[in-house]
Amino acid sequence: MLLPGATRREFMKREQENRLPLSWKLLDGMERVVAFVWPSRFRHAVGWWFLLPALALVGILLIGLGYMVQYSLHELDISTYRLRADYSLANFATFLERPVYMRVLVRTLLASVIVTGVTMVLAFPYAYQLVRVRSAAMRKFLLIALFLPFFIGQVVRAYGWLIILGREGLVNGILGQFGIAPLNLLFNYPSVVFGLIQYMLPFAVLLIIPAVAAISEDVELASEGLGANWWATFRHVLLPMARPGLVGAGIVVFTLTMTDFAMPEIMGGGKNDFFASAIYDGFFQLSNPGLGAALSIILVVVGSVIVSGAFFLAGAASLKARGGG
Amino acid sequence: MKNAFSKKLVLWSLVWFSVITLSLPTIIVVGASFTAGDIIQFPPEGFSLRWYQKLWELEGFKQALGRTVYVSVICTLLALPVGTLAAIALARYRFCFANLIQVYLMLPFTIPLVVSGISMMIFFGEIRILGKLWPVGVALCLINIPFMIWSVTASINALDPELENASYNCGAPPVQTFFSVTLPSVMPGIITGALLMFILAFNEFLVSLFLTDSRTVTLPVQIYNSIRSVITPDLAAVSVLYIIIALVAIWLLDRLVGLEIFLRSK
Repeated sequence: MLLPGATRREFMKREQENRLPLSWKLLDGMERVVAFVWPSRFRHAVGWWFLLPALALVGILLIGLGYMVQYSLHELDISTYRLRADYSLANFATFLERPVYMRVLVRTLLASVIVTGVTMVLAFPYAYQLVRVRSAAMRKFLLIALFLPFFIGQVVRAYGWLIILGREGLVNGILGQFGIAPLNLLFNYPSVVFGLIQYMLPFAVLLIIPAVAAISEDVELASEGLGANWWATFRHVLLPMARPGLVGAGIVVFTLTMTDFAMPEIMGGGKNDFFASAIYDGFFQLSNPGLGAALSIILVVVGSVIVSGAFFLAGAASLKARGGG
Repeated sequence: MKNAFSKKLVLWSLVWFSVITLSLPTIIVVGASFTAGDIIQFPPEGFSLRWYQKLWELEGFKQALGRTVYVSVICTLLALPVGTLAAIALARYRFCFANLIQVYLMLPFTIPLVVSGISMMIFFGEIRILGKLWPVGVALCLINIPFMIWSVTASINALDPELENASYNCGAPPVQTFFSVTLPSVMPGIITGALLMFILAFNEFLVSLFLTDSRTVTLPVQIYNSIRSVITPDLAAVSVLYIIIALVAIWLLDRLVGLEIFLRSK
């Protein structure tokens, strides 16, 4: 097809004009399809349709939990290694009868309290400096130092601690230079707690940041202008204003620690198991799904009670503070 | 002046303690992966790339890596529409029982992972899909979906609803408004959420532990199993792979939406 230059340009132009409406046609077609399958009288339900996939996805978990509740109500028949058909609360009685489970629960809760306390003490200054720091490069550095471990995952991080704290590890290597005999730094309660603090720190900082960012720097200046030193400003202005964020972060850290499995397993060396390990052993070592399911239910209930208690106390305290002026 | 100095001293020493605690395992793992010795020890025995080479020759490692990428992609592709639509619905439409829906959608976070993992293991076993790989991706999407909903919700709250009204006013029908106004303006949230979903699925260990077996084992589970036996330097080389992927994800996040997005007040 030989066309003079001008005509060809004309042709290309028309071609382009023809092509542009194609996407419009496509969109019009979609509009018509949507209008057909979804007449305007259904419009009020559009939100529910948008929500439906998410509701269905979480429904999988709900069905699984239903099985869990059902399992927990049947006792294991030792002769056949199957769950008995009749309903009983025997699995929950086992939990109360065997002191080992109470001991594991107390160990787990104690660790959760310590980890939450220390993490908050470290996370609040981190979040504060991250929000307030003037240098953009420093801010980026602090953000990367925060996100890198967050994105690396628990198992790899625990592995890092194993080679730092192990018998041939970094710390013992340095101590050896000074002629100090290798120490047993791993596989004890403090090392589990330490590993968990390092694991929880990014979560806590990311949750506290919005609360700190919402506080205007002028408020701090006003407090200092009125003669408060920085500690008083921190104690009486910043902390109360950031409270909702701190409570939220504390609750998240507490529940994540309480239900953690990998850190106690890897850094605890089998002697410092948390409640999640007891559940795991119930299912896979004792092969008693009834008991394992009952322990799962107990963990969920204990966690929910503590979380709602914390919310209730925090809510009541903030009401009191508001009422008292 | 003394006041400001003591404040700086206290705050920065706490921050630097945190930075060191957060970064030390990463740095040490990178260093350990280049050792020439057969075990990890300090000071290390010279420099070599032999553990990377050994890793490359391990068939099991490559397969586990492939499976991990596969489940992470499934998780992300599923989370994109599910999380985005749910977030738009929650921010834009009124529901009866709105609080109940919020609590329901937070279930993946409030139920302990060990319980979620075993629950899904039981359920998948009942419907005979346990041992397949794709349900692992679905499960990983489920347990992290609140992250996706959160990220998208954050960008929707920053979007002025009048923009959508303006689009309707200019005659754009609903679908066009959705694709040319709503979707582009929540894009930062969608990108952040998708990256989070991918990287969290790539790292997820506990739920994968329950849903995989020796034929479908994913990389985090395999690392966990190896840690529990003998700690050899090839694990350090695998860990370096994780560190590189995390760095790429951070770089992407910074390029596409900016890390400072996490410093906003709400």
